[in-house]
Amino acid sequence: MTPRERILAAVRDGLLRAELPGASDDRPAYRGLAWNPDGGSLVERFTRALTALTGHVDEAVHPAAIADAIVRIAMLYHATSYLSWDEQELGCLDLVGLLGSRGLRRVTYDLPADPTTRDEAVRALEPVPLGLTGATAALADCGALVLVSGPGRGRLASLLPPVHVALLNPNVLYPSLAALLDARPDLVDQGSSMVIVAGPSRTADIEMTLTHGVHGPKHVHVILTA
Amino acid sequence: MPDAPSSPRHPAPPAQAPAAAAAFYARVDAALADKALHRALSLTTGRLAGGLTSAFAALPDGEALRDAARRIRAHTIAHLDRYLVQFSEQAERRGCQLHWADTAADASRIVVEIAQANGISLAVKSKSMLSEEIELNAAFESAGIRVVETDLGEFVVQVGGDKPSHIIMPIVHRSREYVAALFRDKLGASNTDVADVPAMTAFARRVLRQEFVRAGMGVSGVNLAVADTGSLCLVSNEGNGRLTTTLPRVHVALVGLERIVPTAADLGVVLQLLARSATGQAMPVYTSILTGPRRARVDNGVTGEPDGPDQLHVVIVDNGRSRLLGSDLAEILYCVRCGACLNICPVYRHIGGHAYGGVYPGPVGSVVTPGLMGLDQWSELPHASTLCGACRDVCPVRIDLPHLLLKLRERGVAEDRAPFWLQIGMRVFSAVATRPRLYAWLGRVAALLGAAASRDGWLTRLPGPLSGWTTSRDFPVPAKRSFTDLWREKTAKGRRTL
Repeated sequence: MTPRERILAAVRDGLLRAELPGASDDRPAYRGLAWNPDGGSLVERFTRALTALTGHVDEAVHPAAIADAIVRIAMLYHATSYLSWDEQELGCLDLVGLLGSRGLRRVTYDLPADPTTRDEAVRALEPVPLGLTGATAALADCGALVLVSGPGRGRLASLLPPVHVALLNPNVLYPSLAALLDARPDLVDQGSSMVIVAGPSRTADIEMTLTHGVHGPKHVHVILTA
Repeated sequence: MPDAPSSPRHPAPPAQAPAAAAAFYARVDAALADKALHRALSLTTGRLAGGLTSAFAALPDGEALRDAARRIRAHTIAHLDRYLVQFSEQAERRGCQLHWADTAADASRIVVEIAQANGISLAVKSKSMLSEEIELNAAFESAGIRVVETDLGEFVVQVGGDKPSHIIMPIVHRSREYVAALFRDKLGASNTDVADVPAMTAFARRVLRQEFVRAGMGVSGVNLAVADTGSLCLVSNEGNGRLTTTLPRVHVALVGLERIVPTAADLGVVLQLLARSATGQAMPVYTSILTGPRRARVDNGVTGEPDGPDQLHVVIVDNGRSRLLGSDLAEILYCVRCGACLNICPVYRHIGGHAYGGVYPGPVGSVVTPGLMGLDQWSELPHASTLCGACRDVCPVRIDLPHLLLKLRERGVAEDRAPFWLQIGMRVFSAVATRPRLYAWLGRVAALLGAAASRDGWLTRLPGPLSGWTTSRDFPVPAKRSFTDLWREKTAKGRRTL
């Protein structure tokens, strides 16, 4: 017997005697729950929730205005280079060129599988001061961005630098995570990583003192693009 | 459940029990005497429990969500064999390598072997109670592999050679001065590095970034796994969970075999409750749903994902869970490890996590620890509760913890683990209580003796085994005339009402 067979046999044996109050044979249904915790439009609620988490929300529609907004944020943190999703994934063509002409250089990468060269590649990316991503979806109740990885949509742009800037098309806002996963369960399997990011990295481990930027970005800026 | 002995004549407790019980009471006494611990506990548990209350107040349908989450967990556990098979097949289809571990020792050995096969000398870990349960760090160390805890609290615990004392707040028992001194002495931090909490946090970030960059392997726990996509869900606020599962080329995820939900939609319902129950947040800062290793470049030149681990190993751990499933304690497997029952528990709020002795403290731990490991070393834990029911009321999946604790107490008695004097005492009491004349007579004797021995209407010292009551509080003097006497007197006078 393999460990797999042995464990599954033990589980089946246990199920013969298990006392499981509330268990049903059919998968439980729960549609019709209220997903909308409070009033206001999705954009208003998203903005309120993210601002409460110390995130920042700007608006910019045209590529030039978007580039302006990004440059303003970069200047706040003295950033001259950035990690980024590909232009077509950001939903804003020519952005890399526009930012380049304003002195912001994009750092591209594709981590190699070989251990030694991979370590070197990561080491080179670690000091980059700003990350730029789009957003696959966003959640109004908690001010969160939903980022699904894929070709041209790396995980590190929203993780490694101390500043994360995300371009968000308000059309992809959902009331809550439960509402999103109910409507779009397929998103989970579109990349190896789907991450829901609610504001800046935080910890309260030491004496419950809230501190931002412990491992992930300390600053999160969202630019609404429509 | 083990069979009860057929004739419990002269109960002889198991040989280990007295030592284990004495050790438990010694830990409790130490915790009760620790003033710094009390300050930390009242601050943190009060704030966490308060946060939970307001988070649920802001959530319409919170109670309906709890009902839904309970149904999801109950249904999954009732069909656990089917969902385990589905999860493992779907995870393998997406490139995960599956491993199954019967015991803690097997699980640790499997993880160490994966590290050795990949020539790993440094592993980073994000917070995982299961890794504590299987004592993974010790296994890594004896194989000569360095392992670094990356959750800030767990990192402090590791550097200080300490033990975590709360499921989600590992260093609630430590002060900022302790952390500052530790960073200066063990990690060479300057005074500026530890000037305040933000400075200490920034210092830890710098130290741990260097470990993340060099580590070849990341080890994580899993909050919940999704059966129909083979996905793993992990939550964290700091972001160390994301770094652990993204930067190193090998990711090993430890999953307790009960931590499954059927679909992504079910996951959404449970996640709506998890952070609200744990910390009062609407959502954790980071919720990662990981489905297979990175989808790398394919041969026809189509580009793949630029980052993420090249290998994803999933270790499914039993270690007593299937035995727990086959018992009257199976409901505890619904648990999603939010820690809400700790913060609300009056016993936890006084003794903290260490006193419980096991990996999982609080009401949930008092069921899980003896449930997984038996009562031999843990017979006192089910009694470390007032059965007030606050844990049941706060549980996001409505586990009836007091009921499960009573089941364990019952099991303890059936296995002859109750103290000798208690067994005799209960037998004497039942003999007296079933004989009305004897009962009434003894009541009058007690009233007389009580009146003679009392001081200002209270008994300050009871004799023999009853002295346990009066070591910490006084006992009221029995009334001079019993209810039975009064009743007889009134009814004899022809008045039916008192």
